[in-house]
Amino acid sequence: MTTTQNLTSATEAAIKPPRRFAFITRSAATLWANWKSRLGLIILACFILVAIFAPLLAPYGASQDGFERNADASPEHWFGTTAAGEDVLSQLIYGSQISVAVGFIAGLLSTIVAMVIGLSWGYIRGFGADVINFIVNLFLVIPGLPLMIVIAAYLQNGGLVMIVAVIVITGWAWGARVLRAQTQTLRSRDFVTAARFSGEPAWRIVFKEILPNMTSIIAGGFFGAATSAILAEAGLEFLGLGDSSIVSWGTILYWAQNSNALLTGQWILLFAPGLCIALLALSLTLINFGVDAISNPRLREGKSR
Amino acid sequence: MNPILEVKNLSVVYESSGFNALQAVDHVSFALEAGEFVGLVGESGSGKSTLGLAITRLQKPPARTNGGQIFFRGKDIRELDAETLRQQRQGGFAMVLQSGMNALNPVRTIRNHFIDIFRAHGHVGKSGWDARQIELMEKVGLPKETLARFPGELSGGMRQRVSIALALSLEPQLMVFDEPTTALDVLVQQAIMDTIKSLQKSEGFTAVLISHDLGVVLESTQRVLVMHEGRIVEDAPSRDILENPQDEYTRMLLSHYADPRAEVVELPGFPDRAGRDTGGAARTAGATARDGRSSDSAIVVDHVSKVYPPPRRGEQAVTAVDDVSFTLEPGQSLALVGASGSGKSTIAKLITGIEKPTAGTVEFGRLDVAQLGRRQIRELHKNVQMIFQDPYSALNPLHTVEYTLTRPVVNFGGLRGPAARKRVLELLETVGLAPVEQFAAKLPHQLSGGQRQRVVIARALASNPQVLIADEPVSMLDVSLRAGVLALLEDLRAQWGVSMLYITHDLLSARLVTENIMVLNGGRVVERGNTAQVLQHPEDEYTIRLLDAVPNPARARGAAV
Repeated sequence: MTTTQNLTSATEAAIKPPRRFAFITRSAATLWANWKSRLGLIILACFILVAIFAPLLAPYGASQDGFERNADASPEHWFGTTAAGEDVLSQLIYGSQISVAVGFIAGLLSTIVAMVIGLSWGYIRGFGADVINFIVNLFLVIPGLPLMIVIAAYLQNGGLVMIVAVIVITGWAWGARVLRAQTQTLRSRDFVTAARFSGEPAWRIVFKEILPNMTSIIAGGFFGAATSAILAEAGLEFLGLGDSSIVSWGTILYWAQNSNALLTGQWILLFAPGLCIALLALSLTLINFGVDAISNPRLREGKSR
Repeated sequence: MNPILEVKNLSVVYESSGFNALQAVDHVSFALEAGEFVGLVGESGSGKSTLGLAITRLQKPPARTNGGQIFFRGKDIRELDAETLRQQRQGGFAMVLQSGMNALNPVRTIRNHFIDIFRAHGHVGKSGWDARQIELMEKVGLPKETLARFPGELSGGMRQRVSIALALSLEPQLMVFDEPTTALDVLVQQAIMDTIKSLQKSEGFTAVLISHDLGVVLESTQRVLVMHEGRIVEDAPSRDILENPQDEYTRMLLSHYADPRAEVVELPGFPDRAGRDTGGAARTAGATARDGRSSDSAIVVDHVSKVYPPPRRGEQAVTAVDDVSFTLEPGQSLALVGASGSGKSTIAKLITGIEKPTAGTVEFGRLDVAQLGRRQIRELHKNVQMIFQDPYSALNPLHTVEYTLTRPVVNFGGLRGPAARKRVLELLETVGLAPVEQFAAKLPHQLSGGQRQRVVIARALASNPQVLIADEPVSMLDVSLRAGVLALLEDLRAQWGVSMLYITHDLLSARLVTENIMVLNGGRVVERGNTAQVLQHPEDEYTIRLLDAVPNPARARGAAV
């Protein structure tokens, strides 16, 4: 008996890890095979590397001032300096930290909220579902930006935590709706009924049976949420609703606007962070094309021959 | 005479990056004479549909022809460019797909479907549209009012008729029917096949009927190609296939057909039931004596009705089950037979507490099923388990067999760790999946349909239930696998003393595994009694119609002689 048991655990050890591994490598290979998502991954990797190695890459400190004010591009300051006499390139490089971090943290949190609410909402029936329905619809019909501004104005000067909170509060509802719809189709599958016949409690059915079957939708939702979080973060900072003393792409835009950078001919102050925001958002959107291909094998195949 | 279609050494391969290439069709050659009606038979995975798609140039990646030629009227259709291919759809070759439901656009009326085709090909003048549409509808046996309807308002059989009419509208010389009746009810199936047969005669097109059901094919076609693992193993006139099959595989397929009305019904691996019927009493006695179960309870269904609210405002409420009463004694097996919509699945839902009856009571022992709370439902499920129809959707694709089986063992048996694992392996052994350790580690997609269904049965047995409700457990399986699963169910019942409610439209399998039978029509019981008795001497007209609809190669022989 012991020998057989040892044997089985040995075979299992041999069988299971490669399977998980194979799933991940196959997903990665699919992402890489699609030229759009490959481009997205490359752009995203660049931004993450810049964010991580910002102290090494940046020629000056983030808020190191004392340089000539409103200087044009020069060998010392590639992108010139701000009205406060800071190096624009250094600010851009340090600013990527905030954008990437806020994008991913807020995206992740709102995906988690959407997941928990969407899955439970899709699974339960009756009065509870109606209550959730009402709340989610409420969040969906309230226009996002005004709500953000109101909340941000109330939680004044909360810094990054406040920004993340605002983005999560206003950003989960759409994801919850999508996941609820998918849960409802999955819950009528036989294997879910079978799990009920196996005596499984509701939370296990939702999170162990249904959830793993929608991984790619959740991943897609995450990249979507991260994209809108990055845009929302920049937007709030630009409107001056965040902490304007930190250095992020949004605050660069805010200060550039305040100092009338366009009138002084320093268009690069607006153009550079804007381009960075657009590129980062674009990279996540491009990756989502690849995620689509993982969930829908038809998109993976070539053109008809 | 020149053949209308000639296939030479055709090979089709499925290529997908990251997976091994699969040679679905392997050096296949055959020819079709004009006006012939040919059947293409094989089990799932034999490559028959792939071949059908290849000869109509409808295949899509990852399928790719990697050898051979397909000559249609002397021209290799593999050379055609997209526009020539489109133009030749008129008067060339057409295909009728399996599911009429998916072949029609749900937001367009039937009339619009016809108009699309007339526009695309311009072969019917605008003034002739109406007349042509009505003519086509008459050909497939539909009233002309159907033209104004949307696909969603039609039944499955009507939709399949519309698909056939649409294919006919281009006057094709070659029609390929890919499992045209598989998704339909037995009675409808027969009617559609009759329509196809008479159309083939009157219109004179060449037809290929792709089907997994040798019975259906032998009843309607003149020549049969038997496919197995991508090759054509036998190509002979229907009569020869039936009377003198040459290939081992064909013989195996044929051996799985029998007439449920016969005195003695035998299938491979399944000795005649009549001989064992005398053992019924002994079996029941043995059943009560088995260990591990505290008490045995009968399921008592007493004057139960289930009425669903009307689907749309202003419509009639739907009576799914109408005043049905029966008792399922411990150790007994009862067949619930009827066409789809007869209420048989609703009865299963009522017994398992998924639905509540509108009137009447369902009792299991002292439990009144309709009144149970959540915890008591769990208690009920410990004793009443279900075997699902579709083994492909009844197992979570992401969990190993071991995980799937461990859950009920843990939840109902209270076993943990090694004890639970031991029980899981025992269960796998019971359903004949050896070597057990290897099967335990597998994922559903690594199993065949028959093996999956065995896992589903093992899961149902995990809680050591008293009652099994089997909802069409073999209808999704290949013929050659059916007997094995049925024999397993029968053995389990004999050994474990489990009582079984066997829900099916397949009278042959009902004859094999059940003692008693109830025939349902429109939610009412129209006939009940001993299975062999009822099937041999049916009294109700509905039972007789059901029996007539069973495809049976032997009857084809009777008709031909």
